[in-house]
Amino acid sequence: MGFALTFFARRLAQGVLIVLLVSFTIFALLRVVPGDPARIILGPMATDEVVEQTARDMGLRDPIPLQYMRYLGQVAQGDFGTSFIKARGGGSMGGGRDEARGERARVLDLVAETLPLTLQLAGLALVFTALIALPLGIAGGLMAGRWPDKLALYASSIFVSLPNFWLAIVLALVVTAKLGWIPSIGYQNIAYAILPAFVIAIEMSPLFIRSLSVSIADTMRHPFVELAQVRGLSPGRIFSHHVLRNAAVPVLNLFGVQIGALLGGVLIVEYIFDYPGFGLLTVQAVLQRDFPVIQGIAIISTSIFVVINILVDFVSAQIDPRIEY
Amino acid sequence: MTERLLTVEGLTVDLLRDGGRVPVLRDVSLALEERQVLGIVGESGSGKTVLAKALVGWVAEPLVASRGSVRFRGQDLLAMPPDARRVLRGSAVGYIGADPGSSFDPTLPVGRQIVEKVRAVRADIDATAAKKRVLDLLDRVHIPSAARRFDEFPHQYSGGMLQRAMIVDALASDPAFLVCDNITQPLDVTVAAQIMRLLHDLRSDLDAGIVFISTSLPVVCDIADELVVLSRGEIVERSTPERLLAAPEHPYSRDLIARNPVIWGTPPEPVELEAAPRAILEVEDVTKTYVVPDRTRFFGTQAVKAVRGVSFAVHGGENLGLVGESGCGKSTLSRLLSWVEQPDEGRIRFKGQDIAGMSAPQLLAMRKGFQLLLQDPFNCLPPNLPIGRSIGMSLQIHGGLGRKAIAEQVRAVMAEVGLKDADRERLPIGMSAGQRQRVNIARALILEPELLILDETLSALDPMEQARLLDLFERLQARHGFTYLFISHDLAMVRRVCTRIAVMYLGKVVELADTRSVFFEPTHPYTRALLSAVPTLEEKPFKAADCLLEGEPPSPIDLPQGCSFAARCPHAMPRCRAEEPPLVELGGGRFSACWLNEPEVSRAA
Ligand SMILES: Nc1ncnc2c1ncn2[C@@H]1O[C@H](COP(=O)(O)OP(=O)(O)O)[C@@H](O)[C@H]1O
Ligand code: SF4
Ligand SMILES: [Mg+2]
Repeated sequence: MGFALTFFARRLAQGVLIVLLVSFTIFALLRVVPGDPARIILGPMATDEVVEQTARDMGLRDPIPLQYMRYLGQVAQGDFGTSFIKARGGGSMGGGRDEARGERARVLDLVAETLPLTLQLAGLALVFTALIALPLGIAGGLMAGRWPDKLALYASSIFVSLPNFWLAIVLALVVTAKLGWIPSIGYQNIAYAILPAFVIAIEMSPLFIRSLSVSIADTMRHPFVELAQVRGLSPGRIFSHHVLRNAAVPVLNLFGVQIGALLGGVLIVEYIFDYPGFGLLTVQAVLQRDFPVIQGIAIISTSIFVVINILVDFVSAQIDPRIEY
Repeated sequence: MTERLLTVEGLTVDLLRDGGRVPVLRDVSLALEERQVLGIVGESGSGKTVLAKALVGWVAEPLVASRGSVRFRGQDLLAMPPDARRVLRGSAVGYIGADPGSSFDPTLPVGRQIVEKVRAVRADIDATAAKKRVLDLLDRVHIPSAARRFDEFPHQYSGGMLQRAMIVDALASDPAFLVCDNITQPLDVTVAAQIMRLLHDLRSDLDAGIVFISTSLPVVCDIADELVVLSRGEIVERSTPERLLAAPEHPYSRDLIARNPVIWGTPPEPVELEAAPRAILEVEDVTKTYVVPDRTRFFGTQAVKAVRGVSFAVHGGENLGLVGESGCGKSTLSRLLSWVEQPDEGRIRFKGQDIAGMSAPQLLAMRKGFQLLLQDPFNCLPPNLPIGRSIGMSLQIHGGLGRKAIAEQVRAVMAEVGLKDADRERLPIGMSAGQRQRVNIARALILEPELLILDETLSALDPMEQARLLDLFERLQARHGFTYLFISHDLAMVRRVCTRIAVMYLGKVVELADTRSVFFEPTHPYTRALLSAVPTLEEKPFKAADCLLEGEPPSPIDLPQGCSFAARCPHAMPRCRAEEPPLVELGGGRFSACWLNEPEVSRAA
């Protein structure tokens, strides 16, 4: 099928461009903000000459585009560099011990350890979001203006007004600490993902409830839906085979856009629950100015965003053939 | 005694609004025998669609059927349980609406949706049989390459083809009773004529009684055995087409008949050819091609050839009509003429001066002499500005006058177009379409233009308002010596007001001559096809059966070689498919682009 091929070729080309742009921006920003990586690595005790020498050896005094090209060359070979801070076996390394550089953790390993945990958390969060948003949104859309619609609206308003950090703390205190029902804080097995996922789901559902109920109500108003009843289709069939299909596209697109917000939500929630995922890695890397890790995270999370959006658009185009990309 | 196919008794439908009830249909009674065609004619807003839907038992909030019954073979459709009604509706009762463009789910192939419906209402037909049946029917209604079309989506169909698909959808379950609600209304005249022909053909081997509803009296008379006239939700007259036309009883029916324009009654006076007519606007070999993305190819594009080498001149004081069906390039041409877009090739001269070479101030001055009036005035009027201000604004833009003088002129033009002085402070939002169009005319008029281009300006107005504005145009012409270029698909209107007519087909002018020649001695087969398709009450000199073949106009993206009308032309010869005929003069100021005119051309030369 010609369409799928040209679609992916075109979109992947665009996607690579986006990833390059984002990673270059972050790369350049990290090099202009104060804080010399050589100093971070060597620690406060090292002399200025040593710092300067190390910086030169690491190529940190070359022009930024050159450094970036060098970096890309390494990335192309699968080498995202090593952390400034983190040691191979976990734990962080103080600056100063030059000989220990070989022991620093590879960025790729750090990502490989944390990403699956985060994907598990995000997946669970999406399942919870669907469990909350689908019934409320669909009922609200089908009965626009009546009580299910109002219920959906009230529920969304309450969810919106709950700050995620507050909810996280309350849940951790009550459900884990006091009642001891579900574990949280840290990670040992999948049960530790439940509460964080729930917090993310509460944060994301209002948008999906709204989008679902609006697009279902819009589709229900479309003349072909009314006419389908006159053509002899049963209400159940009209809903399952036509209304859901037509209403899916805007919701899918919202999902594509929300991937960014989902990653943001993961960041905060992982930090609060001390969930050792990608988000926690990010927070730590930023706080510790661990530049190689930040760069690696930027490339990988942008790629995730791009790939998911390409898939979302592809599925949308499969559902609605009128969509042009 | 067997039950009659359909009996409607005392049907009253109300609209629930603000706690009250507004009647939409009042005490409507009808009877339809097996295999009979009952026509219902009424203007828009008379309740036709509400009635059409009620006939298939479909009355939904905020409408309620407060009295009466609709009995199909004795069963009251309005009173029966919803599930029984649903199955009956899809199988024994068919419905075709006025809006084929939004009748199907836009995300699924048309063929599959029709099969879905057949399977939903006819448990006795399995999937393979249903598909075969739909394919056969698509073929029957002359959808070209039905097997491929079966898998195409609604947006890949033209309006005419979608309407055919809707007919297939209704017929696929062998209905005994079929409601056609204004099915030709959104279609171009030739496509509408083809659909009506199809319906005539189907009638002879269809076992269905049909209720045929339309705003067009000629269309209803063409197909109905009996008809009723609906006005404001009430039946005002029951008759047969012959009796109604010969002896209408109700004043409303008389009015309805009188409103239908006469095209061939008395020919217009032959126009004297001026020795050296003064050309105000000259169009020379103008072309415009739009480049649109092609999603089937990597970074691919397609060229839409909207205008393909058009030449004509508008002479001072005349009314030139530019007619053609949708997509033939009329609107593109009007955008080129008013220099909203630039042509790819060719020249446009206003009073002898090439617009392309004009400086900005010259262009502004030219725009003043040369005004474009569009169909929907609502979109061109600033919504927050009182109309007095928006009329004066055009003068302000062109500068040079004080406030007092402007106010004075605004008052004068408003009076001239029939707006009251008190209307000056009103906003466009509360005004009727006709009034808004007057505001628009006043905005143009205040600049004292010489040439007015009217692109479907009157198309959205009801016939009464249309007639009043045409009178206004005539008065303005007499007083100011305006020249008009009427761009329209409405042949009857153009016949009434224009002295010369250019007929466009697929981006080209195929015939250009004085009105008398175009209507009485057309030289191009497309012109004859167009004339044969106009619904009229009078006897037509051209019959659609002779002048119009089946088939759709080709797409402006994939133009065939040779004459673009060849696929639908009854006279097409091998040469027509190889070479494109040029527009040549036949003598007497008549131009035509058809190989049939060859002998006459050589004689004139
Ligand atoms: N801006 C545009 N982009 C692409 N195609 C266009 C555009 N405007 C018009 N067309 C195409 O050009 C052809 C002529 O259109 P138009 O001038 O609007 O015809 P008409 O006024 O007779 O309906 C049509 O096939 C139309 O789809
Ligand atoms: S050139 Fe041929 S196909 Fe075209 S209109 Fe004339 S006879 Fe018909
Ligand atoms: Mg147009």
